[in-house]
Amino acid sequence: MASNASILDLYDRLVDGVYTLGYRLLGDPHLAEDVVQDTFLAALRSIVSYRGEGPIEAWLYRIAYRAAIAQQRTRRDFPTDPVDIVDLAGAGSVDVERSVLTLELAAALDRAIETLTPPLKAAFVLRQIEGLSTRDVAHALDVSESSVKMRLARARTILRTELKGYL
Amino acid sequence: MTCDELDALLPEFLDGHVTDEQRDAALEHLATCESCRLVVDDLATVNRLYQEHGRLHITPEARERIRRLLES
Repeated sequence: MASNASILDLYDRLVDGVYTLGYRLLGDPHLAEDVVQDTFLAALRSIVSYRGEGPIEAWLYRIAYRAAIAQQRTRRDFPTDPVDIVDLAGAGSVDVERSVLTLELAAALDRAIETLTPPLKAAFVLRQIEGLSTRDVAHALDVSESSVKMRLARARTILRTELKGYL
Repeated sequence: MTCDELDALLPEFLDGHVTDEQRDAALEHLATCESCRLVVDDLATVNRLYQEHGRLHITPEARERIRRLLES
């Protein structure tokens, strides 16, 4: 089935990107896996209605962002203390590459991004980590390009302050 | 270019989405303004740190489990 094959291709290319967005928004590896599953199952159901009105990556990240927000609304007993979140990260599916980072820097990057609000996090992750264009981030988050630029500027300013000791 | 003008241009400048004229004006300002240079250097480092280390990878087990679900 063509749509199934398209989704599998998208899955292979973007699974880590969707996982990163989910993890950065929710701070929990298991919830991030749920976001990945929900996103691609929803994409499988709705890809026949995709009309090519924007890049398919932006279409998928729009689904992922909504899935993460939905998870955020239903989650229970989620640790809000950044220290707990760092502990959770250390317990599970954190990037293997982190073994070559100092733990301190990795924890600092996590703590810093955790201070951002979800809209700022989403814009920063999609633009700066996943490399989407500003226009595609706007499409994914359903906001204007100027709003994305404003969010990026605010996110970078906050992160600069939070990471002062590492710059 | 003034400090305020550079500040307004920073998002595009950091992303490399500026015209040649804007880039030249920004670089000319940065050559003489240490405070702006510090800000630009810091923000560029923030971007680089997250580009290099911000991406996470789902576990191989979860990757396979969800892929099988999509294939079924």
